[in-house]
Amino acid sequence: MSAQAATSLPAPAARPAMVGAGIALAAAVVGIVIPFVFTSPVTLSLATQGLMNAILATSVGFLIRQLGFVSFGHATFFGMGAYATGLMLKHTGLPLEVIMPLAVLLPAAFAFVVGLVVVRVSGVAFSMLTLAIAQVFYEIVVKWRDFAGGDDGLSVNLPTRVFGLPTTLFQEPGDMFRIVWVTLVVILFLLFLLARSRFGRLCFAIKDNEERARFIGYRTLLPRAIVFAISAAIGGTGGVLFLLYNGFVSPDVLHWTMSGSALIMAIIGGAEFLIGPAIGAVVFLAAKDKLGDVTEHWQAIIGITLILVTVKWPHGLVGSVWHWTTRRGRGGRA
Amino acid sequence: MLMHILNGFVYGGLLYILSVGLVLIFGLRRVVNFAHGGLFMIGAYVGYAVAMHAGFFTGLAAAIAALAILGILLDIGVFRPLQRHDPLLTVLVTFGILLILEDLVRSVWGKDYVSVQVPQLLAGNVDFLGLQYPVYRLAVIALALITMGGLTLWLKRSAIGLHVRASSVDAVTTAMQGVNTDRVSATVVGIGAALAGMSGVVAGPLLTLSPSMGSYILVDCFIVVVVGGLGSFTGAFLAAMAIGQIHNFGIVYLPWAASSIPFLIMIGVLIWRPQGFAGGASS
Repeated sequence: MSAQAATSLPAPAARPAMVGAGIALAAAVVGIVIPFVFTSPVTLSLATQGLMNAILATSVGFLIRQLGFVSFGHATFFGMGAYATGLMLKHTGLPLEVIMPLAVLLPAAFAFVVGLVVVRVSGVAFSMLTLAIAQVFYEIVVKWRDFAGGDDGLSVNLPTRVFGLPTTLFQEPGDMFRIVWVTLVVILFLLFLLARSRFGRLCFAIKDNEERARFIGYRTLLPRAIVFAISAAIGGTGGVLFLLYNGFVSPDVLHWTMSGSALIMAIIGGAEFLIGPAIGAVVFLAAKDKLGDVTEHWQAIIGITLILVTVKWPHGLVGSVWHWTTRRGRGGRA
Repeated sequence: MLMHILNGFVYGGLLYILSVGLVLIFGLRRVVNFAHGGLFMIGAYVGYAVAMHAGFFTGLAAAIAALAILGILLDIGVFRPLQRHDPLLTVLVTFGILLILEDLVRSVWGKDYVSVQVPQLLAGNVDFLGLQYPVYRLAVIALALITMGGLTLWLKRSAIGLHVRASSVDAVTTAMQGVNTDRVSATVVGIGAALAGMSGVVAGPLLTLSPSMGSYILVDCFIVVVVGGLGSFTGAFLAAMAIGQIHNFGIVYLPWAASSIPFLIMIGVLIWRPQGFAGGASS
């Protein structure tokens, strides 16, 4: 991935972008059709929660893929999106149409400012830093009972209409499934375009060798802070959808174990692939659901899978399937 | 006032016994062991299970022995094969181990909270500087001081202690001088795990036991390791005691900010001097 970014000089061609757009469109259509086929509200509700986790996992994976930074605190941005939506609905008279973009911009702005400092450190120190920042945020929300509801969480009533549509859409599993699915597809498509852009290539170069990129004459701090902010915006989007769907948020979504789960999803799915973390999230939650019925040990199974994937299949599920199919394909042609 | 200070030392002492193992392991292997919280929890439950049949102190001994063995296995099975890899890989693997240990405890002892009785020998209160204070809590402070004294003597006076100190400064050169660094490492991780087990048992009567107790205290341990100066044993003691005090005074005087302060200090240290952590680059 990074070697490719370093060696390929020609400007990105328009054609792959068109192919990407086609795939995204097809994926969006598939998602809109799914609730017609699987009508069980329980399944759809579970799938909707799964897709919200997929958005969070995508934001964690994006940071790994684009910069090689492993965040242990991304639940903060998810929670910030959810709490910002909830608190603004409760304490301000702003219309939901304004609140939603603000609740995405707030974690992004926070991450950008914090990012200017934290992206200077890398490796395990970055992971520890994100963990510590996330815990500060967690503790503040838990302690701030009057404002954020503390341990009991925060429940809100949505206004009846948003963008001319009834807000009951957000709480109906089938419709919300479509909304979250399409949001995820749009995010993935935008990240696909970003990775192919000049900016995306610069980020790969920085990931490859920050010092070299700096010596060539690129600014390296700002792009890293921007990537951190974009990643936070994605996580925040997941949080906004979470609040709209549940009408409730509690500090549980801010705890570091939530960040840990999102990271596991990204790693299991394969963080170096755009779609890996989302696939990882779906597999993770499907496994949790299915294995939860058969055995009580799904957590141990997730732990074992995490160890196996990090040690044996560092490219994740998506990577393994990708390598397996391309190897087979080449073998067939030769 | 005196009571708050003493309570701070109790939590600080507990945190010290637990974290110093993490500090030892970090000093030698340069890995952040997420499984350490799991070891603490396993120690607590093993101690509890044995104590039900054979008394508290037998439980304590059993937990220390079991965890020492587990620690040695952890070093041989995980840290040694992964030592040439990215430190982040070890972080993820130990995180996986934490999940497995939590699941193990949940399936053996259930997910309910369990409370442990203070042992008969250390029950009751005692008059301490004009204050009625539980004997058990004083014993925890004493144990932390004994642990620190013992570790200091061991590191400063014994041959293997010298090897440990040398290895944490420069493992490669130490190995070139003929020290079996793998054996040193297994010893250190064994001791670190045994200390985690001991603190788990000791924590039993103070906290309640639950499968998630490990992942909760783990984050406090990270603060001690980072703030204490990454691999510094005296630093870890001071940091643990300071965090114990902040923890307790905060609960009394600044309840809304208390739990954030240690993290803010940790953030400051990481930004100011991240060198010790900069994976692989520092050697």
